[in-house]
Amino acid sequence: MPETRIRSDLHGVIWKIEVAVGDRVAQGDTLILIESMKMEIPVSAPCAGVVSGIFVKEEQQVAEGEILAMITV
Amino acid sequence: MVWQPELDELRERERLARAMGGPEKVKRQHDGGRLTVRERIDRLLDEASFHEIGAIAGSAEYDGSGALCGFTPSNTVFGRGTIEGRPVVVVGDDFTVRGGSADATIHEKTVMAEQMANEFRLPVIRIIEGSGGGGSVKTIETKGRANLPGGVGGTDAFYYCTANLAVVPVVSLGLGSVAGLGAARLAASHYSVMTRSSAVFVAGPPVVARVGQVLGKQELGGWEIQTRCGAVDDAVDTEDEAFAAARRFLSYLPTSVQSLPPLTASDDDPVRRDDNLMSAVPRDRRKVYKTRPIVETLVDHGSFFEIGRNFGRSVITGLARLEGRPIAMLASDPYHYGGSWTADACNKLTRFVDLAQTFHLPVVYLMDCPGFMIGLEAEKAATIRHGVRAMAAVNQCNVPWCTIIMRNSFGVAGAVHQPAGRLSLRYAWPSAYWGSLPLEGGIEAAYRAEIDAAADPAAKLREIEHRLNRLRSPFRTAETFWVEEIIDPRDTRRLLCEFSRLAQPLLTPGSSSFPMRP
Repeated sequence: MPETRIRSDLHGVIWKIEVAVGDRVAQGDTLILIESMKMEIPVSAPCAGVVSGIFVKEEQQVAEGEILAMITV
Repeated sequence: MVWQPELDELRERERLARAMGGPEKVKRQHDGGRLTVRERIDRLLDEASFHEIGAIAGSAEYDGSGALCGFTPSNTVFGRGTIEGRPVVVVGDDFTVRGGSADATIHEKTVMAEQMANEFRLPVIRIIEGSGGGGSVKTIETKGRANLPGGVGGTDAFYYCTANLAVVPVVSLGLGSVAGLGAARLAASHYSVMTRSSAVFVAGPPVVARVGQVLGKQELGGWEIQTRCGAVDDAVDTEDEAFAAARRFLSYLPTSVQSLPPLTASDDDPVRRDDNLMSAVPRDRRKVYKTRPIVETLVDHGSFFEIGRNFGRSVITGLARLEGRPIAMLASDPYHYGGSWTADACNKLTRFVDLAQTFHLPVVYLMDCPGFMIGLEAEKAATIRHGVRAMAAVNQCNVPWCTIIMRNSFGVAGAVHQPAGRLSLRYAWPSAYWGSLPLEGGIEAAYRAEIDAAADPAAKLREIEHRLNRLRSPFRTAETFWVEEIIDPRDTRRLLCEFSRLAQPLLTPGSSSFPMRP
């Protein structure tokens, strides 16, 4: 089963995690909100599938390029 | 028919040149999913418009009787042609001849192509594959000496590489493996595009392996690396898309700085109002929104051509049209650091404003900038140095400028929303919000003593924030004429079209007072 890793586009702090492992998501669904420069930047699902991994916690700092979650198609 | 034998020989030599590196090498090029330089030129230019110069230059072999018995053409192919009926110079590397390398190049062909572009004021399109006629250690043996780069008489190519940026549009296509001088020629352009199967690097994997990094071509210089860092503007899937991108880029520009951008007919209504603009910016200031649909709806339908989407992404740059008049479009993207200016975004902006200045394109700036990027990483990236360079680029340009303040305008980067010291047009949307610095953190800095002295510092902080927020309405700013106009966002297209009409007679052909750098 192909897995898609979702990376952070920017430096920031994990503000909210909107999904849990096992959730089915559609393309474009918001998975995580990153707070950066006082804005809530949504990280959306690049494809439909099942959330098979979340590798960050709320309030955690993340760097650009860091893997946040994984979706299994 | 006195000269028929000579004419026959000319045709025979031309036939040999068109065979390029021979059927085997041509097959290898095709098997790799790449076109030959001659196929590329034919597809890039208007049909049958290519007029080649120096086709029969190369290295020939003669038998004992002095008859031609073998011929390898030079691996630079150049000439003139047209794109949408307008003349251009095209110069391409033939990878089927010695991998495009210097030992089979006739250096003077590349130089003449660039010189022709410069002196006949024609755009130049470089089709680059290989080292772009650059160094190969083989030349140490073939020439019997090592090459001093830029040695006696050897600076012409470098001269035009710089000089042409101030005179004519320069577009470069990286199609295949592009290294060394090839990479430099690619980057020294107003617009560069590579295919996603190509790789671009200063030095390729064998050389890099000697400094201890064992990497494949794509790992070292694939499109994701080169477009993300801004060395190459854009990446496309196919060579045909690269040719289309080159043609489209040129469609917005004059053939040289000595003329004005070409006007085209537009059937898009200049007073078209899009109701979506009334809800484009969310009331909740922590929420982000997409800027590209705003750009698309404001400019002539389908006219937005984005440049450098993967680089410095808090700023969107591209060319577009208003009532058929080309403009340079600059827009913030809140999805990336809330639209704040990173060092990369500043570099992108500097180069883009210089492009607008060089080719007489009025600038439209859809602004939502909470300031320069802040934090340790931003300091280490010298954001302030790149930021003041961007500020200088905006302040030095003299093309007409119009700013729409969509939301944030904060700090020094906020001030750089129009050229300082001259009149631009400026409109704020009702969603506009500004200040020297944000309240968050700003209050703690300015009201420290008052907060510390309070019995409940947190409550005091909230009280001050509430007090200040009541004064922040953009109407209070307009009341004191610190901003001249607040508009219905749906009127934006009408006002931008009016701006482009007002700007048109102000555009002046000629060289910018400062030459553009790549």
